[in-house]
Amino acid sequence: MNQAALVQLGASLIAVFFVAWLVGKIGLGGDPRIADASHAIRLAEEAEAGFKGIEVARDRAGFAAIVQNAEGRMMLVRAHGNFFAARPVDASVIGRLDKDFLTLTTPERTFGAVTLQLGKDAGMWASRMREFTRG
Amino acid sequence: MDKLPDPVVYAVPAFILLLIAEMILSLRRDKSRYEARDTLTSLMLGTVSQVAGALVGAAVIGMSVFVYQFRLFDIEIEFSRWWWAWVLCFFLDDLAYYAFHRSAHRVRWFWASHVIHHSSQHYNLSTALRQTWTGFFSLTFLFRLPLFLIGFPPAMVFFCAGLNLIYQFWIHTEAIKRLPKWFEAVMNTPSHHRVHHGVNPRYLDANYAGVFIIWDKMFGSFVPERDDEPVRYGIVKQLGSFNILWAAVHEWVGIAKDVWAAPWRHKLDYMWREPGWSHDGSRATSAMIKERWAAGRPVEPAE
Repeated sequence: MNQAALVQLGASLIAVFFVAWLVGKIGLGGDPRIADASHAIRLAEEAEAGFKGIEVARDRAGFAAIVQNAEGRMMLVRAHGNFFAARPVDASVIGRLDKDFLTLTTPERTFGAVTLQLGKDAGMWASRMREFTRG
Repeated sequence: MDKLPDPVVYAVPAFILLLIAEMILSLRRDKSRYEARDTLTSLMLGTVSQVAGALVGAAVIGMSVFVYQFRLFDIEIEFSRWWWAWVLCFFLDDLAYYAFHRSAHRVRWFWASHVIHHSSQHYNLSTALRQTWTGFFSLTFLFRLPLFLIGFPPAMVFFCAGLNLIYQFWIHTEAIKRLPKWFEAVMNTPSHHRVHHGVNPRYLDANYAGVFIIWDKMFGSFVPERDDEPVRYGIVKQLGSFNILWAAVHEWVGIAKDVWAAPWRHKLDYMWREPGWSHDGSRATSAMIKERWAAGRPVEPAE
């Protein structure tokens, strides 16, 4: 790389960080929450064509939800930026119960672990998950 | 080889100004059109893409000059005498882009490189700059080689390709709803390209055009945007991460894992078959997704 190219690269990086900083500074962005069970079901169905959710465990703050279909299969939906991302809950997902909290850790490091505050239902969903993934 | 300036370099200041203008507009209309981490990911992917392009630029030019030796016609670069060749070159380069782009969505090897551009769930001008790092590795330059064989000088082709890229910048926006009918009929527009970035089953694998939407209409891949079905953007399995490196290489990692684990007779299939293909049918291709969606939706009245 010659000097002109390096200057160009440096200027590009400055512009990149300036624009990204500006996005936050002027208040762009959202605060996506899962409003209710039907919203969670819609998100799960959008994530996987043919998936029909019937039951939902929704995090109290609406950051995430687990949606189950009639066959017992589950989808984990969580907020990502201004939108949502979902993953199937299968045998590779590790579930940890801590009183009212259920933490699901997917094998994808970049997707990460998701903690849902489910209140009294946390235990029930943890056992459902165990049953299905062992099943 | 004749030398012409790279038009994209001159367009960059306009890109940045338009980006900021769109951000200000989004403040008024819909703040969720931008997200700082998403914008940073898109712009960093674009910046590194430029570096990657510069690193392999000599090899691409070398190959084009090599192929150009075997040209069928002698076309010169001088605009005043050969203006019609410039117009033809721009047009044919756009056709080559269509062929590349369609393949980039139908062949996993090409998709692994192109998926970067689709990996944002946002659709704004920063998405336009979310470009691949691995285009050379995935052999995407092959699609332009026929132009050199015809006899278009490499400098002319690369200049037209630059103009094509510049055109495609402004169509990555939700700020423009529809343009006049005659324009929508011939040109690629924000509306047509929104469909292309959609993950709604109805919109999957459609509108591959670069500049002229006529290619999609000619080759049966055109799908109009519907007001009753807003586009959801991104990829079928959303990344769920703003990790720049992961956005750039995740599909290559996926290919490597699949090829490693697949039975011998299916190893190559995981490279050249369509994204989502699996030897045991455990995953879904876009065709399967569309089929499931069509089976589950109510019948639409005929138009």
